[in-house]
Amino acid sequence: MKDVYRVFWKELLQVFRDRKLIFSTLVLPVLLMPVFMFGPSLLMGRLLQGAAAKTQEVAVAGLPEEALKALEEAKLAPKPSPDPQEAVRKGEFPVGVLYEEGRYRIYARLAGGISEGQVAAGKVREALEALRMRKVAEELARRQVPKEVLTPFQVELLDASPEREKAGGILGFLLPFFLITFILSGGQVVAVDATAGEKEKGTLEALLMAPVPLLHLALGKTLAAVAMALLSGVAGLLGLALGGAWAARTGAGLLTETGQTLELGGQVALDAGSFLALLVSAFLLALLMGAVMVSVGLYARSFKEAQSYMSPLMLLAILPLIFLQFRGLMTVQDWHHLLPLFNVALLMDALLKGSATPWQTGLTWGSTLVYALLALVFAVRVFAREEVVFRN
Amino acid sequence: MIEAAGLTKAYRHHLAVQDLTFTVGPGEVYALLGPNGAGKTTTLRMLATLVRPTRGEARVAGFDVGREPLEVRRRLGLVNGGMRVYDRLTGREVLAFFAGFYRLEGRAFREALDWVVALLDMEETLEKQVMEMSTGMRQKVVIARAILHRPPVLLLDEATSGLDIFARRALLDFVKAYRDLGHTILYSTHVMSEAEELADRVGFLHQGRLVYEGTKAEALAMGGGSLERAFVQKVREVA
Repeated sequence: MKDVYRVFWKELLQVFRDRKLIFSTLVLPVLLMPVFMFGPSLLMGRLLQGAAAKTQEVAVAGLPEEALKALEEAKLAPKPSPDPQEAVRKGEFPVGVLYEEGRYRIYARLAGGISEGQVAAGKVREALEALRMRKVAEELARRQVPKEVLTPFQVELLDASPEREKAGGILGFLLPFFLITFILSGGQVVAVDATAGEKEKGTLEALLMAPVPLLHLALGKTLAAVAMALLSGVAGLLGLALGGAWAARTGAGLLTETGQTLELGGQVALDAGSFLALLVSAFLLALLMGAVMVSVGLYARSFKEAQSYMSPLMLLAILPLIFLQFRGLMTVQDWHHLLPLFNVALLMDALLKGSATPWQTGLTWGSTLVYALLALVFAVRVFAREEVVFRN
Repeated sequence: MIEAAGLTKAYRHHLAVQDLTFTVGPGEVYALLGPNGAGKTTTLRMLATLVRPTRGEARVAGFDVGREPLEVRRRLGLVNGGMRVYDRLTGREVLAFFAGFYRLEGRAFREALDWVVALLDMEETLEKQVMEMSTGMRQKVVIARAILHRPPVLLLDEATSGLDIFARRALLDFVKAYRDLGHTILYSTHVMSEAEELADRVGFLHQGRLVYEGTKAEALAMGGGSLERAFVQKVREVA
């Protein structure tokens, strides 16, 4: 094991002496995560507030006087137009309204993300809805019918999630997603440098001359990739935590595609056992991916070629995480806990929500460990193939 | 010592080395001469256990390269022209890293380090990171790495490639000094003048075959005082 440690230490020492690499892998995520996650919503929130406060011009046709007045009261400036739809399409107005045959048609350019047109359309809609309600109330009063007839009962949707799941909120999905992403990107740095990088720099042949079994070399390199992967994961989570703290102070949240902000749960209350289980899961995942990346890196002729293999590998690894979003719609079965990567994400999600079972944990850890060992054996076999080692 | 018998390496589309048989004894420099692509590097890699022979066998310091690779590596040093060491480590760190594989730690490492520093005159490389070193200094670290464990057998493959005149001279002087310590040296090169200076015996390798083997004096006599002429003459004879 001394030789494994020696290789492990050498790989890390080299990486830690590269300041630019450390900055981009460990420091930048801490700084960028808050900006990446909460910056857009803060900026967009200010822009939306500004748009809401501004008076927008509205192309109108056929509107009765009461509707025009309602629009003006809602900080909108109606301007007569022969064809409001065409006026909006040409970009002459952010929003247009046409009234014919008892129907108001609101035109806005809704495709292509959040725009001033959407904000203005919202204001028009609210103003006309308010007008409708006012007219209904007036008519009911005229006929001496109580307005309560419109709402014979209330309908409420309430969150019945367990407290821990509720507290975790969307972090239950985001945390595994970011953790796995950072583990992959951090591990890749060492895996590529320790394999294709060694080949390209001409140092691999000297290392292979050492009187050490190939397994020790492969294991040392893989563990170095694992260590860097975990450090990168910690950096990513630290960034997420800082972002969360910042969001709590500023009231920012995650920006959704409709322009609304999604509040984070704000706190993840993990007991010591769950925290430890989360760490073990992250370690096993990093071990699996480290061994896979070392194998792939060894196969490559050059640093550049290795990086070109890593990008699809990252996408492939992230794909199961996308399906994690639909976990609420499917019945989780035992075999799901055997699917590489997906099982770890599923377990992390369950640990954060406090719903992980020993059976699920055992299946996930056991299968991931087996996959990691198989990947390690594969890495050793790749190491032993002279046509691969001397490919460059 | 080195003993190769019928050593052959076949790749998918060609035979890199064919039926190579030769021996190199202690205190001897054997120059394996041939142009690029003659099979020199493949031969040295087979002896260094980095590449498996397709046929034949070889023993280094009494151990079989196919069956006892770790024992062979413990008694062998390999230097080739393209070999580099880790850029971000200092000379001392590089040597300590490799010394550990040979269980040279603590006092044993310090003694080995003192010996190699004196032999190669490389004191100035110890605290410098490799990336800050000149080509000659780097080559000294590469050589030091290969001989730190005092291997009885040393393989050098185009070891002066890319070196400036001073570094090349230092390397040639080192080879003589190491040979004088009684070690076995296989020196592969296409630079005939280096073989003329260093070799006790020479072998001409052409298209993977050993087409001539003899003492340096015999080869020089055959080529009228020039190894290059001897090589060309021998290759034309077999072509």
